[in-house]
Amino acid sequence: MQMQTSTLLQTYLQHQGSPFNDPRFSSPGLSLTTLPPTDMPFEIWHGLEDGVRLSLTQEAFWSFSQHLQLAETDQMALHPDDFILLSQLEEARLKAKGLAGNLAGIMTALDLPTPPANSPLGTVPLGDSAFQRKCRGYVIIRDYGFWTDRAVTFLGELKTKYSE
Amino acid sequence: MMDISLCLKRPSRLVDSKRVRMASGFQWLLFTVLLLYLTDQVNSQKKRTPHDLKCVTNNLQVWDCSWRAPSGAGRGAAYEVCIENRSHSCYRLEKNTKLPPLFPGDYEITVNPLYESGSSKSKFILNEKNVSLIPETPEILNLSADFSTSTLHLKWNDKGSVFPHYSNVIWEIKVLRKKNMEIVKLVTYSTTLNGKDTVHHWNWTSDMPLECAIHYVGIRCYIDDPQFSGRKEWSDWSLLKNISWPPDSQTRVFPQDKVILAGSDITVCCVTQEKVLSAQIGSTHCPLIHLDGENVAIKIRNISASASSGTNVVFSVEDNIFGTVVFAGYPPDIPQKLNCETYDLKEIICTWNPGRPTSLEGPRSTSYTLFESFSGKYVRFNGDEVSSNESYQLFFQILSNQEIYNFTLNAQNLLGQTESTLLVNITEKVHPRIPTSVKAKDINSTAVTLSWHLPGNFTKIKLLCQIEISKTNSEHELRNVIIRGVESSNYLTTVDKLNPYTMYTFRIRCSTDPFWKWSKWSNEKQYLTTEAVPSKGPDTWREWSSDGKNLIIYWKPLPINEANGKILSYNVSYSSDEETQSLSEIPDPQHKAELQLDKNDYIISVVAKNSAGSSPPSKIASLEIPNDDLKIEQTVGIGNRILLTWNYNPNMTCDYVIKWCNSSQSGPCLMDWKKVPPNITETVIESDQFRPGVRYNFSVYGCRNQGYQLLRSIIGYVEELAPAVAPDFTVEDTSADSILVKWEEIPVEELRGFLRGYLFYFEKGERDTSKIMGLESGRFDIKVKNITDISQKTLRIADLQGKTSYHLVLRAYTGAGMGPERSMFVVTKENSEGLIIAILIPVAVAVIIGVVTSILCYRKREWIKETFYPDIPNPENCKALQFQKSVCEGNSGLKTLEMNPCTPNNVEVLETRSVAPKIEDTEIISPVAERPEDSCDAEPENHVVVSYCPPVIEEELANPGAEEGGGASQVIYIDVQSMYQPQAKPEEELDSDPVGGAGYKPQMHLPVTSTVDDLDADDDLDKTAGYRPQANVNTWNLVSPDSPRSTDSSSEIVSFGSPCSINSRQFLIPPKDEDSPKSSGGGWSFTNFFQNKPKD
Repeated sequence: MQMQTSTLLQTYLQHQGSPFNDPRFSSPGLSLTTLPPTDMPFEIWHGLEDGVRLSLTQEAFWSFSQHLQLAETDQMALHPDDFILLSQLEEARLKAKGLAGNLAGIMTALDLPTPPANSPLGTVPLGDSAFQRKCRGYVIIRDYGFWTDRAVTFLGELKTKYSE
Repeated sequence: MMDISLCLKRPSRLVDSKRVRMASGFQWLLFTVLLLYLTDQVNSQKKRTPHDLKCVTNNLQVWDCSWRAPSGAGRGAAYEVCIENRSHSCYRLEKNTKLPPLFPGDYEITVNPLYESGSSKSKFILNEKNVSLIPETPEILNLSADFSTSTLHLKWNDKGSVFPHYSNVIWEIKVLRKKNMEIVKLVTYSTTLNGKDTVHHWNWTSDMPLECAIHYVGIRCYIDDPQFSGRKEWSDWSLLKNISWPPDSQTRVFPQDKVILAGSDITVCCVTQEKVLSAQIGSTHCPLIHLDGENVAIKIRNISASASSGTNVVFSVEDNIFGTVVFAGYPPDIPQKLNCETYDLKEIICTWNPGRPTSLEGPRSTSYTLFESFSGKYVRFNGDEVSSNESYQLFFQILSNQEIYNFTLNAQNLLGQTESTLLVNITEKVHPRIPTSVKAKDINSTAVTLSWHLPGNFTKIKLLCQIEISKTNSEHELRNVIIRGVESSNYLTTVDKLNPYTMYTFRIRCSTDPFWKWSKWSNEKQYLTTEAVPSKGPDTWREWSSDGKNLIIYWKPLPINEANGKILSYNVSYSSDEETQSLSEIPDPQHKAELQLDKNDYIISVVAKNSAGSSPPSKIASLEIPNDDLKIEQTVGIGNRILLTWNYNPNMTCDYVIKWCNSSQSGPCLMDWKKVPPNITETVIESDQFRPGVRYNFSVYGCRNQGYQLLRSIIGYVEELAPAVAPDFTVEDTSADSILVKWEEIPVEELRGFLRGYLFYFEKGERDTSKIMGLESGRFDIKVKNITDISQKTLRIADLQGKTSYHLVLRAYTGAGMGPERSMFVVTKENSEGLIIAILIPVAVAVIIGVVTSILCYRKREWIKETFYPDIPNPENCKALQFQKSVCEGNSGLKTLEMNPCTPNNVEVLETRSVAPKIEDTEIISPVAERPEDSCDAEPENHVVVSYCPPVIEEELANPGAEEGGGASQVIYIDVQSMYQPQAKPEEELDSDPVGGAGYKPQMHLPVTSTVDDLDADDDLDKTAGYRPQANVNTWNLVSPDSPRSTDSSSEIVSFGSPCSINSRQFLIPPKDEDSPKSSGGGWSFTNFFQNKPKD
């Protein structure tokens, strides 16, 4: 899943033109307030209880599934014939949605309260111009990669912890 | 101005009069002073009267005149202004007066100050030409901006109602940018005043987005009234109005998502409160254009067409990026290859090629509208209907009662639009769909009915359909049918002229009349027609059995086009003049029948039967007419065919029959036959059964009087091959000089062609050593005989050598080449006479040579003796060789040639002869003898010094008398010098020691002594007693194998003898080259061979 996320980011940037497709492109200043936060220090995250982390992770991937849908729509408007990128975005969206569902199942099994599954996505900032859509998609996929790494690590810890 | 000109008239005239008279500088000075005086007078006069009358107008209806008041006049002073040229109208006014417009011409204006003492009235001449037309300052009604298009909209009122008549007005509009008001646009705009107030609009599109900086707009005008002859001037500028982007704390980039023409220029700006570090378009950095505050802009020139995602323009601040996407592309190309047609007369499909790509996609892509002008209907292009990247299509519903359509296809995107038109009669543009549901039904064995379904509303037109009829191994046949369209869309037609019992494949395609396009071919429909009676009887032939008693009837299966069905059986009957008999029905796979006939002539009839009936009978006569004049001929085919010809024979009334068979087959020979009409005299026989290298018999029969006569008998090959085997041959007879060979014929099956001859090769050679190779390369040692007489089966090879092995090879060849070889080795017999002669002749020659040699030797014996056996001088007669008695004293016994180790003794032979003595018969080897000859030649006296040293041979000494009697005492002569090198003196000393080296050593028995090392020089003299062979040893170079010198590898001296041998050895034939030690190559032991031979 991490490799697919990395591939998705590369594919996405390659299809946005320069300077997005420059090998060293990075714009950490770009952010999207509706996305799950990525600025929580690792120590704090690691110090959270499993239930809290499960809940945050589940909410994050549910949010990402909707943001990826938004990115897919944006790219559809930009270049509707680019089936490779669109299919990868759709695949990522489904995986995010699936992971959110699985996490909700785990939370239910652990008697943890789960957020409503179909909470709608509010107005997403960054505007509606083509450039803003490109930036928005970039931020979504970039942060999705961050949360993917975090979730894989966290779930690995959970697996180790509960398999003992 | 006017009063000045008025007052200056007189001084100027005065100056002119004086200028004539005064020419010097003084005069000029005087004139200047006078002029200053007069000017001062005038000014002082003006100051006391109203002056500087000036009139302007802004609407041509009122002249607004003003003048300067006289000095001392207070505010609110009143004047009386009178216009003299009119009806002397006077106005009581203050400083300024508004006069009605005057007609062209000069008017005297009198301005008289009222209630002002000391002031005088002034008179002015006023003309319209002196009046200025200065329009009223325009006022901008409204200035608005369309930021999306960067367009300013300016609105103002021309106030034309105040003008009495039409006038042209020129408006000048200026656009200023940024707070420092840089002029970016100055443009004139012409209108007409029509007596009414009119609001004018002016739009201007900025090259820079209006959001980037504040923009100001001002306007002024210039009225160009043709009826006004005065001076026309621009109005003052209006008050500036500005447009600016509302201040915002967020950073924004303008324009956003702009679509522009590729190759054009665009300015992009970033409105921000942060410091912009850099800007780039794509990967290219651009210089910043600083605007107000931190705002910046970049100018992009000649932008390239964008990729599908557009061209990114990015401004970078410290920790963020801002940007926009520019979509650079092209307006749509004219739709190409616009074509409208219908499949079914229900719907029109129009296709076209979009032409050059616009580089704009998604919401910016080209939209198409297909408009039909007669009906006014249109359809819009939906992107989902794109069938491929290069072809677009739209569907338009056909309208009832309308056949002609005028289509206009409009292509439009954000950069422009184009269109293409097409006028079509849709009934002539029918491209039917593929026919379906093709079915076939029997009518009879040669006709069927085909039916199919063709969707479409073709009731008003005719269909032209094409039926493709094909059968196995046959060319396709196309038949066209014209059918009127029916509402049900089901069509049928009859296909006749078919063959019975034949599998046909039908397929159909349709078009309309008039023709436009064929539909695609329908799926194939296979159909087998029903059977019919066989059209012909089978092709028959007959052969008599090998015993001549039975007649075998052969017939060929009927071809499918004649069988007209599946042949079930055959009926065979034979009839003579007397009776007719039939055989029982013969089932199909059997194609022959055997008849037992008597001696009558019969006509045999064969009939084929299928389910539809029987064929006409095929008849053939049993009679065979003999032909005595018959030769067997040969022929070779070309390719896989054989051409046979025969002479025309008018007697042959019915067919010629050529039958052929494989000649190797036994029994009735029949492979196949072919019938040829009687008027033809040649035919080509072809058969898949023909094989190269197989001999076939061909028989040409002529048919006459109901009987067949064999006309020609031919054997032939379709292609000759080289023989497969070699002829089997044997040797029938062998003699000393000839071989008779006999061979067998090669069987026909292995000959594989017509035999042309044999090649016989032979050469000398043994088995396993001789191999005839490269026969064609012309080896000279191989003899070849070409036997072209193929009846010859033997060959005698003559002129051979006796008792010699010969290698024989035989090969046969045909027209296709050589066959393999068979070889044999044969040895000829011995030639006894020759052997006898070969022995006798050498013996006889040897005897004759011996006799002649004996005679010659006998006759020349004296010469031979003197030459080869000269006398040896007797040493006893030589005083110099008288040995002292003491030499041999002390010896216990006298022993001849007892060889003990000793110091070599030198024997010097001195003679008085002038020539050097020869001591050839002396068996002494002296070291001195090895001295070079030149050293001998250097001796003034003729003497020879001989060193002698007998070896120590104790065994021989034990039996010393065994060989004394015959003088056969054996002495070993060795290289004494080398052997006793330690004791030997240098050669110089030897030469200078006459005692040690002089004197003859007599024959005496030498005593056994101790080792050589024990001997001193005196003892040597004693031990040299005994026999001393005489020889000219100085010509010998002898080295003992045991001598130190012999171990020298570089030494070329060959040693003889051994210190252990008691045999006397000596060179008989010294080397010719006495200087060369190499010549000492050999010698033999020959005891006293030359002993006692006196030297001559």
